[in-house]
Amino acid sequence: MRRTLVFGFRKILLLVLVAGVLIIIPRVTSDYFVMMSIRIMYFAMLTMSLTLLAGELGLISLMQAAFFGIAGYFVAILQTRYGLPFPIPPLVGITAAVLAAGLFGLLVIRVRGIYFLMLTLVLGQLVWALASQWASVTRGDSGITEIYAPVIFGISTETSKTAFYFFQLIAFAGVAYFLTALKRSPFGLMLRGIRDSESRMVMLGYPVSLLCYIAFVFAALVAAVGGVFFAYFTGLINPHSISLTTNVETLLAAILGGINLLAGAVLGTGILKTLDVVLSGVTKRYMLFMGIMFLLVIMFARQGIVGTIRKYWSSLMIPVADWFGFRRDAMPAASLSEEESFDQSRKKKEEHDD
Amino acid sequence: MIRRRVVWLLVAVFLFTLGALGTANAVSEIRIGHIGPTTGWATIFGQNVLDGIKLALAERNYEFNGIPIKLFTEDTKADVEVMRTKLDSLRSRDKVHLIIGPSLGHEGVAAVDWAARNPDMPILVGYSAPEDMTMRKATHNLVRPGWTGAQVIFHFGKYCAKELGYKKVIIVGQDYSYPWDQAAGFVRGFLENGGEKVERIWHPVEAVDFSSILARLTGMAKDYDAVLNNSGGAQVVGFFKQWYQFGLDKVYPQILGQANVPIVSMLSELGDQALGVYSSLHYYDGNPSEANVKFRENYKKAYGRYPDVISVQGYDAAHVAFKAMEAINGRVDDSKAFIDAIRKVTMSADESPRGPFYFDKYGNPVQNIYIKKVVKKDGHLMNIAVKTYENVSQFGPYAHMAEKYMAAPATTRSYPPGDKDAYFKEIEKYFGRDYVENLNKNKGWID
Amino acid sequence: MRVVNLTHGAFYMAGGFVGLSVLKVSGSWALAAMGGGLFIAALALTEERFLLRWARGDHLIETLISLSVAIIVGDLVLVVWGGYPRTIAIPETLMGAVRIPILGLMYPLYRIFMVGLAVFIMGGLWLFLKKTNLGITIRAGVDNFEMVSALGINVRRLFTFVFGLSGLLAGVAGVVGGTFMMLVLGEDWRILTLTLIVVIIGGMGSLGGTIIGALITGLIYSFATAFFPEFSLFILFLPVAIILSVRPHGLFGKEA
Repeated sequence: MRRTLVFGFRKILLLVLVAGVLIIIPRVTSDYFVMMSIRIMYFAMLTMSLTLLAGELGLISLMQAAFFGIAGYFVAILQTRYGLPFPIPPLVGITAAVLAAGLFGLLVIRVRGIYFLMLTLVLGQLVWALASQWASVTRGDSGITEIYAPVIFGISTETSKTAFYFFQLIAFAGVAYFLTALKRSPFGLMLRGIRDSESRMVMLGYPVSLLCYIAFVFAALVAAVGGVFFAYFTGLINPHSISLTTNVETLLAAILGGINLLAGAVLGTGILKTLDVVLSGVTKRYMLFMGIMFLLVIMFARQGIVGTIRKYWSSLMIPVADWFGFRRDAMPAASLSEEESFDQSRKKKEEHDD
Repeated sequence: MIRRRVVWLLVAVFLFTLGALGTANAVSEIRIGHIGPTTGWATIFGQNVLDGIKLALAERNYEFNGIPIKLFTEDTKADVEVMRTKLDSLRSRDKVHLIIGPSLGHEGVAAVDWAARNPDMPILVGYSAPEDMTMRKATHNLVRPGWTGAQVIFHFGKYCAKELGYKKVIIVGQDYSYPWDQAAGFVRGFLENGGEKVERIWHPVEAVDFSSILARLTGMAKDYDAVLNNSGGAQVVGFFKQWYQFGLDKVYPQILGQANVPIVSMLSELGDQALGVYSSLHYYDGNPSEANVKFRENYKKAYGRYPDVISVQGYDAAHVAFKAMEAINGRVDDSKAFIDAIRKVTMSADESPRGPFYFDKYGNPVQNIYIKKVVKKDGHLMNIAVKTYENVSQFGPYAHMAEKYMAAPATTRSYPPGDKDAYFKEIEKYFGRDYVENLNKNKGWID
Repeated sequence: MRVVNLTHGAFYMAGGFVGLSVLKVSGSWALAAMGGGLFIAALALTEERFLLRWARGDHLIETLISLSVAIIVGDLVLVVWGGYPRTIAIPETLMGAVRIPILGLMYPLYRIFMVGLAVFIMGGLWLFLKKTNLGITIRAGVDNFEMVSALGINVRRLFTFVFGLSGLLAGVAGVVGGTFMMLVLGEDWRILTLTLIVVIIGGMGSLGGTIIGALITGLIYSFATAFFPEFSLFILFLPVAIILSVRPHGLFGKEA
C-alpha cells in the first residue's frame, strides 16, 4: 500500500508555518499565553477524541472525559502514592484507559445514534461515580494533588513552563500525526463508509463492529494522552474532570469548531477555553453566554466554525492560490466538505432508523 | 584639580538622584485578586467572601494612604483546573500583590499546592478549611485568617459530653473530607471528655432522600443520646425537613449541627426547625460586640441581607491585609516583607466581628471558639453563645504537642475510631501514655 | 415522540423556583404547583415552536438544542433566585405523619400524597393516550407522520401540545419535588440523569415501563445508599449501562 502521507507542497508549507509558529510561541509571547496554549493542547486532545468518533464514525460520545480522567488518576495515584518514576505512571495510565475502553467498547458497539449518546453518557457517569465516591482510592471529591511534572533528560518540566510546553507539543504532534494518518488510511475510509451507510458496509462484508470497536479504543487512547498532561500541568485531578459538565463542554468545543478532526477540535477548544477565562473576568453570566452561543452555532452554523470556513474556503482561496501560482486540480470545490457529508449521512440514518 | 572636583560633584548628584528615586514610593496602585466560586452551585461560598472584601474596601474608599486599590475577581466555577489557571493569570496577567481566596475545600488543597510553587505571592485564604493547608502542607506565603474543620469543633465534643451529658452520639454527614474533619474533631473532644461512642453514618454529597437513614436512626434511638448533622447547604435543609416529617424530634433531643448548619443564610430556610440547635464556630451572629454589630448593619445596608460567617472571612481577610500594609508603609511590592507583616498581624475584639485573633506559626488563627445555640430574638432567629473557649488554635487542646498531632494518621471517614476503647488505644500510640493517664486523672481536658 | 429532551431537568428546577415565588405571593401551595406547571408549559411551548421545530426532525440537533436551552435556563434561575438552597413548605393539610398498620412505622403524609399524585397523573395520562381521540391521534402521528397529516390533521401542532404537556408535568413535579426535597442549583442535571435512567430502564415511549423503571431506580438507589454508600451511584448506573447495550429499547420500550 502506498504511503498515504505524501502531502502536497501547499500543505507542507502550511505545516512548516504552523510548526514554526508553535515553536516560537514560548519565545515571543507572555507566560500567560504559553499557559493558555498548554491548556488548549490537552483539552484539544480530549476534543479530538470526540471528533474522531463523531466526524469519522458519526457517533457522538459523551464519555471521552472518562478516559481522560482514568489516565490522569493513574498518573496521580502511581506518582503520589507509590512514587513510581516517570515514565511509568503515564504509560500505565494510558494503558489503563485503553483497557477500560476495551471493556466499555464491548457494550458500546452494540448501539448507534441516540442510544449511543445515552449509553456513553451513562457509562461516563459510571466512571465519575467511582471517582467521586470510592474515596479510599481516589480521595473522592477532594481529588489528588501534588502531582509534579516529570524531569526529562535533566530538564524539569515542572519549573520551566517552556520545557513543559515543548514536552507536550511533541506528544501533541505525535497524536496529531497519528490521527491524520488514521484519517487518510484505508481504516479511516472504512470508518467514513460506516458513517455514510452502515448497512452498505455490512453488505460489502466489512467487520463493522470490529472497526467501531477499534476506533473507540483509539479515541480513548487520544483522550488518555490529554489526561496525562492535564494531570501533570494542573498538578491535581478530581472527579470534576470526568463529570458530565466536562463531557458536555467537550461536545460544545467540537460543535463550535466543527467536526473536522484536527482543526475543528483545536479551534473549538481554543475559543471555548479562551472565552472561559476572558468572559468570566467580565461578566458573571458566563454560562448564559455559552448556552446562547452554542444554540446559535447549532442553529445557524451547524458545521461549526471550521466547517463554515471550509464552505467558503474555496471561494476565498482560489484567487490566493492563483496568485501564488499553485492551481491544483484536486481542489475540493466540487465535492462536499467533510461537515456536509457528515450531516447528510446522519440525516439518512435518521430516516432509516425511524 | 577643579575637573576632578566637578566629576565628584557630578557623581554625588547622580547618586543622590538615584537614591531619591529609590526611596520614592514605587507602588502606584495596590492590586488585590479574589478567587472563588462566584457562579454555579457554590456561588454563595465565593460571592459572600467577595462581598465581605468589598465592604471592607469600600469602608476605606478603595484606597490605602492615598494609593488606589484595584480589586480583581476571578471565578473558579468550583473547578480546580480553572482555579489554577486563574491563579496563574492573576499572578502574571494582572500582577496582583495579594490573592484572597479560595473558598471550597478541594480548592484550598489545590491552592496550597500552587502556593508552594509560587512562594512569592501572598495568599490569604478565604473560606477553605482543610487543616493540612496550615499544617502538614503549610507554606510560608499562605496564611489563613479563617479556621480549620477540626479547630471549631474539638470543644463542641467536650461540651456535648460534659455539659449536655451525652454518652453516645450519631453523626450523619456528607461523605467528603470536610465533614470527615469535623467528625474527627468532634470524636476527639467527645471521647476524651467522657463520651463513650460516636457512630458515623455517611451519605452521598448530593443525597436528597434521608428516609433510610432516618429509619435507622429511629431504631437506634434507645441506645444513642443525640444526632449531629454534619452537612452543609441543601442537604441540611433536606435533612431537617425530613427529620420532622418522620417524627425523629419525638425520639431525640434537638439536632446538633456542624459549622455550616445554622449559619445565617440557612436559618431563614430552616425556620423554627432550627430552634435550639447547638453548634460551634469561631463566629456567632448574635455577638453583641461593637465590631460585629457595626459589620452586620453596614453589610445589610450595602447588600440588603445579613452577613454570614462566609462574608466575615472576606471582611477579616481584607482587614488583615490593611494592617499588614500599615506595617510596611504600603510597600506591597516587597512580597517578602508583606508576607512577614501579614503573619504578624493581630486583631482585637474591637476590630473583628468574630473576636480577637492572631496567627500561629503555621499561619492559622488562634481565636475564640463559641458554643452556640439558636434562639429567637425579636421575632427572628439568631445564634447566641452559651460558652466561649478562648485562644484555641487549629490544634485545639493539642497545641502543646502540635508535632505529635501532625504525626498522627490522617483523618478519614472512619479515623479516628468512634469507640472509646479503640480510640484510647490509638492515641496512646502517638500522644503517649502520659497524656492518656492525665486524661483519666482529670476526667478530660483542663479548661 | 422520540425526542430526548435534555431541557427537562432545567424545567423541573425552574418550575420549582417559580412555584416558590408563587407561594410567597399567594400563600397557596396548590396555586404554586399550578403556577410552576403553567409557566414551564409556556416555556416548553416556546422552545418547541421556535427552536425545536427548526430542527425538522433531526434528533441529534433537537438534543443539542435542548441541551443549550438547559444551560441557558439554568443560569437564568441563578440570576433570578440566587444561589442559596431553598425549600417549599409543605402545605398544612399535608403535614404530619401517619402510622402504617402492618409495618408499624410512622410515614410522612406528604410522601403518601406524592405517591397518590403520581398514580393519579399516570392514570390520567394512560387514559388520555389510550382512550381519547386526541391521544390516539398523537400516537398515530408518532408512528406515521405522513399518513396522519394526509388525513388532514395538523400533527405538528399536536406535537407542540404534547411538548407543552410534558412541560406542565415537569413544572408541577418541580414544585412537588421542591417541597419533598430541596430547590438547589445543580438539581437540574441530577434530576435529568435520574429521569434518563428511569426512561432508559423502562423504555422510551412506554408509560408502564416508566413506572417499573422508576420503581427499580428508586429501590436500587435507596438500598445502595444505605448499604454501599461508597458505590451507590455506581450501582445505580450499572443496570442502565447493561440495559442500554443489551436491550436499548428498555424493558418495555417499543422497537423503532
